[in-house]
Parts: sequence; structure tokens; C-alpha cells
Amino acid sequence: MSHADLAAGKVIRMSLLFRVQHLLLTVLLTVLAITGFALMYHENSLAQWIIRLEGGVYNRGIVHRIAAVLLMANLVYHVFYMLLSREGRPELRQFFIGRQDIDDFFQSLRYNLGTAKEYPRFGKYGYKEKFQYWGASVGIVLISVTGIMLWAEGFSMRFFPKFILDLALIIHGYQGLLAFAVLFLWHLYNVHLHPSVFPMNPSWITGKVSAEWLRREHPLEYEKLKEEGLL
Amino acid sequence: MNRMIRHYLAAVLAAIVLTSAGIAAGATTSVSECMDCHGDKTIEKTLPNGRTLSLHVDLQAYRGSVHGSSGCVTCHVDAKAPHEKLAKVDCGRCHGDAAKSYAMSSHGKARAKGVTDVPGCYDCHGRHGIRKPKDPAARTFRLNIVETCLRCHKDQALEQKYNLPGQQVMIAYQQSVHGMASSKGGLTGSAVCPDCHGNHTILPGDDPKSATFRQNIPTLCGKCHSGILEKYEKSVHGKGMRAGIAESPVCTDCHGEHTISKVSDLKSPVSARNIPKTCSGCHDKEGISSRYALPKKRFSSYMDSFHGIALEYGMTKAANCASCHGVHEILPASDPASSVNKANLPKTCGKCHPNAGPNFAKGDVHVEVSPKKAMGVFAVRLFYTLFIGTLVSLFALHVGLELYGRWNRRKEKATDGKEGKS
Repeated sequence: MSHADLAAGKVIRMSLLFRVQHLLLTVLLTVLAITGFALMYHENSLAQWIIRLEGGVYNRGIVHRIAAVLLMANLVYHVFYMLLSREGRPELRQFFIGRQDIDDFFQSLRYNLGTAKEYPRFGKYGYKEKFQYWGASVGIVLISVTGIMLWAEGFSMRFFPKFILDLALIIHGYQGLLAFAVLFLWHLYNVHLHPSVFPMNPSWITGKVSAEWLRREHPLEYEKLKEEGLL
Repeated sequence: MNRMIRHYLAAVLAAIVLTSAGIAAGATTSVSECMDCHGDKTIEKTLPNGRTLSLHVDLQAYRGSVHGSSGCVTCHVDAKAPHEKLAKVDCGRCHGDAAKSYAMSSHGKARAKGVTDVPGCYDCHGRHGIRKPKDPAARTFRLNIVETCLRCHKDQALEQKYNLPGQQVMIAYQQSVHGMASSKGGLTGSAVCPDCHGNHTILPGDDPKSATFRQNIPTLCGKCHSGILEKYEKSVHGKGMRAGIAESPVCTDCHGEHTISKVSDLKSPVSARNIPKTCSGCHDKEGISSRYALPKKRFSSYMDSFHGIALEYGMTKAANCASCHGVHEILPASDPASSVNKANLPKTCGKCHPNAGPNFAKGDVHVEVSPKKAMGVFAVRLFYTLFIGTLVSLFALHVGLELYGRWNRRKEKATDGKEGKS
């Protein structure tokens, strides 16, 4: 953290490597959603317009699979980075879900209902972030597995009965819808519309957040940084 | 004995000489006599409606005709030189069978009622220049007959007056695979009007005696497409048709009538792109599926599959109905000989997907998402729908609660502030 940042009251929340992974995820998921939902809702006229825009079903499939390969590569890279790198390992540890998160969740409910005095004191990642992170991870793994099964149809046909592939198809599509609902409604609300960040939490671009925001929203992390003399 | 034979031979000889001399003398004199007047190119008479009718007979055309070696009086029986208006020529005197079948046809019946617009013999065959149908110069030659029929059937005035099939029908034929094969390809084997409609016995398609009556169609088309007819007869459609089930499709239900085009023609109802729509014309009808206990939702389940979507967007190599069910030889899945019988599915799927073995063929091909037909898919879909619905509701609740808390706290702060001040 530079002195200029400290002077301006800024704290680094996302390192460059995480921002690159996040940006890739954003772009690729958008491409996958547009190409995927156009196929899932192919009887809809907007979907048909999108498919034509993408150059027909065949080209749509190619675009979808290129994005999928990049997304899976991103995922594999992320797994290795979180397990093996010096920056990743402590990050991963902070993402573990514990008893505290459940307590925090109920405390925040009570706080908003007015039956608790204190808002829960979150570390770097609160229950919102953890839910988001693990939800997305499990979703991407599930959608990748089913996607590969459908892509490698020659291989799949040798080992699976047709109804398994029918299931894979339906899981693939609805898992996409689930991911879309979580990201579009939950994540975008939390990083754009939530009163504490409106109109945008800038960390996905600049990597930084204000120390004041951190103190209010993630007090444990704020105090930890203070103790370490980083603030 | 010898004397008897000699007398007999002499008598026969005399008879031959006399008859041939008689014919020769009578005929030739007659024709040349007629040509004294009718050889004149300017000879004509004025009709009651003011128009003039040429009375010229082209001797050369007559000599080249099938009747060229007989005499004028063979047909114009009351002709002598000079003469007034002659009696109508009656072709039936020699061509009795043709006249009989003509009398039973739509044309013949109308003529008997006094309609003069319908064709008589010479409208199709010509008058003095009649040639055998095999003669390329004949009006009834296979490559000329369409033009001959269209002389009347392309006339809009006649079409309206007698409520005849519209011009577009004729144009459709001319553009069809049959029409193009004869007009452009010069193929004499291609179907022309009389092949389907008959020549002298033309009847409308709703007459059970007509060759183009629905139940007669397969036999009719089978005259040329006999290999196809053989397959069709063994199919569920063919058997149904022969059993008298009028709803069972005949050739024209899938291929069209005058519009018949090649399978490769994009406009054809049996082209890869159009096959699902053509089949579902019957198979998507509630009545038909319940009457014959057929599985339902075949069209929608196909159109929702990879095959259906790919085909919809023009990937014609994707499987259509016919790719799996067959074309003319379609059999129900319960028939062991059917390409979609469980036992044969690996082979049928294997045409495109070589890895699809017996293991793959488990489960329905047309996935109809219902608890009875596809429990797994139904359950997964239900689970996701509920899960996503619940999750989204919880998001909304959570967001609402957060905003409510904020709003509450702000209000409290405001009132606290006010109380403090006062």
C-alpha cells in the first residue's frame, strides 16, 4: 500500500491478479449467458434475434464453447492460485464458512428488525461475500461438468443413457439461470445499489476501497490492518 | 380337286383386285375431288357471329396424319362435291372405346348437357393433322400434352365461368419436379396431365371413380413410383389407407399435388426444413392422436430438442422426423421392424452418432416433461424453479429488510435529534 493511498484513506481490497480474474469472469459469464439463454429460450423472438445476431445456432455454439473454455481455464487457474500462492492461501482461509457466519446472518436480520443493537462485525468477507463466492464456485463446477458432457456428445453417448444427458441439459440450463439470478440480482445489488456503495464499489476496477467504508462494513478487517500497521 | 382350287384362287384374286381397286379409285378420287375446293387457301365461310372460318385443308398435314391414307369420306360420311354444311364428324364410329370413356368424363358429361366450351376430340387431337400420341409432332405427344390442356385450363374466363382450379395450380405444375422434368429436361417419362387425370376419362378428384380420388392416389403414383408404393403399402400409413382409414396419409398429403418438388427443394413440404411441420400437420392434431392412440407432443418435444433447434436455424443435417422414423416405410415403434423400435434404436441413432449404443437408447427420445414420462427431468426442473424462486424471494426480503432497517434507524435518529433539541 502506497503512502499516497494511505494519505487518501484508501485500502487495497483486490490485487491486480484478482481483478483480472474477476474481469474475465464478468465478460465470460455475460457472453455465456447471452449465448446460452438464447438457446434455452429459443422460441422467444428476442432469443431468435440474438441467435441470428450471433450467426445462427452453429456459430452461437462456437462462441459459447470458446467462452466456456476460457471460463474453465480461469477457474482452474483460480483454484491453483487459491491453494498454492502466498496471496491466495490466506484469502481462501478467510472464505471458510463457520458458525460465526450463521450467527452474523441472524444478527444482521435482528439488527434490521430493530431487535439487536449492533450490526455484525465482519472480517474481510461477510456472509454475503461468502455465499456469493461458494455459490458461484459450485455453480461453475456443476455447469462445467454438465457442459462438457453435452459438448463431448460422442463420448457421453458411449457411457451414459440418453436420460442422463437430458438431465445434464436441464441442469446446465437451470444452473445458468440460477447463476444469473444470483449474480444479476444479488451481486449487482450489493456492489452497485447497496446504500453503502452506491453507485459503485470501485474495487473491481481500482482494487481499492476507502478505509472509512472498510471500518463501517468490515470492522474486523479494518482493525486487523490497523494492528498490522497497514493503516 | 385341282379345278376347285383353281376356281377358288381365281375368286380370291379377283376379290382382292376388285376391292383394292375400288378403295384406291374411290379414295383417291374423293380426296383430290375435295381438294379441288378445300386446297384453296382463301376458301372461307362467314359464321353467324361475323367471324370467318377458313375451310382450307392442308393436304400435306393430312397426308402426314394417322388418317392420311384413308379418305375424306371416312369421317365426313355425307360429303359429296359440292356440298352444303356437313354433319358433325363422329369419331366414335371407329373409336368406340374412346368415345364411351369420353362420355363418362367431366368433359363428355358437360358436352352432353350442351356446354360448347368443353373440349371434343379434335380440341386435343387436332382435326386433319391428327398424329399418334407417340409422334413428337402430335398435340397429344407427352411433351406437348401439357400445352394442349393448358390451352383451356389457363384461360381465366373459363376458369371463372366453370369454377375450375385456379391458374396457380397450372403454374405450380409447370414449376414442379414433374413439369420441369418434361418441359426443361425433355424427359418423356415424367408425369404429364393425363398420367394422373386420365385422358378420355377425366373426372374431378372428389369422384370415387376418378384416378385422382384420395383412395386411388397411391396406386396412381405407384404406376411410375412402384418401388416407393411397395414400401408405402407395408407402412402404417399405407396399411391404414388400404384399410379404409381416410385420415391415413396418401402420397399427396406429404408431397403436394401439382406443386410436387424435389426433396432438396427448400420449398418442398418434404424438405428437411419442412418435414416437422408437414408431419405435425396430422401428428399435432388432438383428434388424430387420440383416435389412433398415438403419443402426443411429438412436435413440441422435437422442436425443443437439439435436433429441432438446429434444424430451425437451418442446419439441415440435424435429424428430422424422417431421419429416425423413415420415409415411406414408417412403422409404429411397437413393430419389431420399425427403425424406432427400442431394439433398433442403437442402429438408427448410430447413423449419425456411431457411439450411441444400446446403453444410450435407454429413456425417451422425445422428452415430454411430465412426472409420468420423464420424472428425472421434471423433478430437476421443478427443483430449480422452486429453488431459484425461493432464492430470489429471499434476496428481495433481505434487501427489503436492509432498507427497512436503514429507514427505521434514520427515523429514530431524526426523532432523537428533535427530542434532544427540544
